[in-house]
Amino acid sequence: MPGETKHGMECTEFEALVSDAMDGDGQLSAACKESFEAHRRVCGICGPLFADVQAGQQWLRSLALEAVEPPVHLVHNILAATSGVASTRLHTATPDGRTTRFGQRWRERWDSYSASYFRPVAGFVRQPRFVMSFGMIFFSFSLALNAAGVKPADVAKVDLRPSALRHAYNNAQIKVVKYYDNIRFVYEIESKVRELKRANTPAEPGPEEQKENRKNNTSGPPEQRQDRNYSQEYNQPVLAALRDGVVDASPAVTMTTNRRFV
Amino acid sequence: MEETQVVGLLVRRCVGGDASAWEEIVQRYHRRIYNVCYRFAGDSDNAQDLTQEVFIKMYRTLNTYDAGKGAFMTWVTTITRNLLVDHFRKSKGDRITDSLDSTSSEHEDAQPLSEQIADRGLPPDAAVQSRETREMVHSALQKLSPELREAVILRDLQDMDYREIATALRIPEGTVKSRINRGRAELARLLQRTYRQVM
Repeated sequence: MPGETKHGMECTEFEALVSDAMDGDGQLSAACKESFEAHRRVCGICGPLFADVQAGQQWLRSLALEAVEPPVHLVHNILAATSGVASTRLHTATPDGRTTRFGQRWRERWDSYSASYFRPVAGFVRQPRFVMSFGMIFFSFSLALNAAGVKPADVAKVDLRPSALRHAYNNAQIKVVKYYDNIRFVYEIESKVRELKRANTPAEPGPEEQKENRKNNTSGPPEQRQDRNYSQEYNQPVLAALRDGVVDASPAVTMTTNRRFV
Repeated sequence: MEETQVVGLLVRRCVGGDASAWEEIVQRYHRRIYNVCYRFAGDSDNAQDLTQEVFIKMYRTLNTYDAGKGAFMTWVTTITRNLLVDHFRKSKGDRITDSLDSTSSEHEDAQPLSEQIADRGLPPDAAVQSRETREMVHSALQKLSPELREAVILRDLQDMDYREIATALRIPEGTVKSRINRGRAELARLLQRTYRQVM
């Protein structure tokens, strides 16, 4: 029970002394320590509590033994974010006081950069989806080259000397000029033939005249205008009436429908 | 020259605009601050960001440091602690803490942890050596409430004395001791439960 006195010490007092008792000798007087130990042995709450606190301290000390090493670029980042001045040191101190060489430091930095940039790329390249896509592109490309008649052996035989290149350029230019001249010759002949035909046939009415004729001609069927909307309004009433043989001209039945004409 | 004098001189030089003095301060304290941040935040990315924030704040407020009021490390720890608490509030990472008060059955307390672990053939010394155990302790530390966590980190991991912790956290020494004890005991119980689940 908290507040219970055992061996001249209350549980609250015991709790207050736990830290001092754990910090080692000299913190508690001999009498106080004796009461503390006696209370710890007897009390069903304080004894286990002390054991837990002790165990927790041991676990934490184990963590303290292994200091976590900060990332290599942390100092650089801090300096860049604060003073904006890059580190002037060529050597970096390690936790145990040793120093690392400039080259080693650069290697570490390179490792960290490569880890951050190349590793994700390498991971992506290794994915089956990427490999399949790459394979398909390669296959399509090689198929297209095959169909076009391009062979790697031909490419290897290409003469890249300046004189050969000039010769190839001249050949290509001659071919283009010849092609153009031929095309021009064909067009000239075609235009001459068209002129001859026009000279031999009687003159046809012009397009303006044709349009005038069509306007005055009412014998033909009317033009269909599909864009006209003959449908009635949705709420317009429909009046049914008898027209032939009925004396009264007024409608026999008047009814209103909501049917929609389509 | 004493550490306090060296640091005081560095601070004066830095306030005077000496970039190399600032770099010296960064080189001296970044590892320690990073460790506090790492143990508090739980992961490296957050720890890096928080360490940078601590130094940015230090850089801006360095002229307010008064050597007469306390050690430089205590001042740095206060800044760190404030930022960590801010970060904790912002991230709303209010984890469900297995409080000491709510800890259940009394039969769990009947046997000390060391004996329970020994019963299962895992002596604490041997287990602590393993990396897995350290990671387990580290993750158990994250489950403590921020108040208890910061107290045990400063005491058991940073080896600060009660007075320094009290100054840094701005709480009485008695509260510091109480929080440390509760934090240690709670951590032990969490690990005890973890071991029970693993076994």
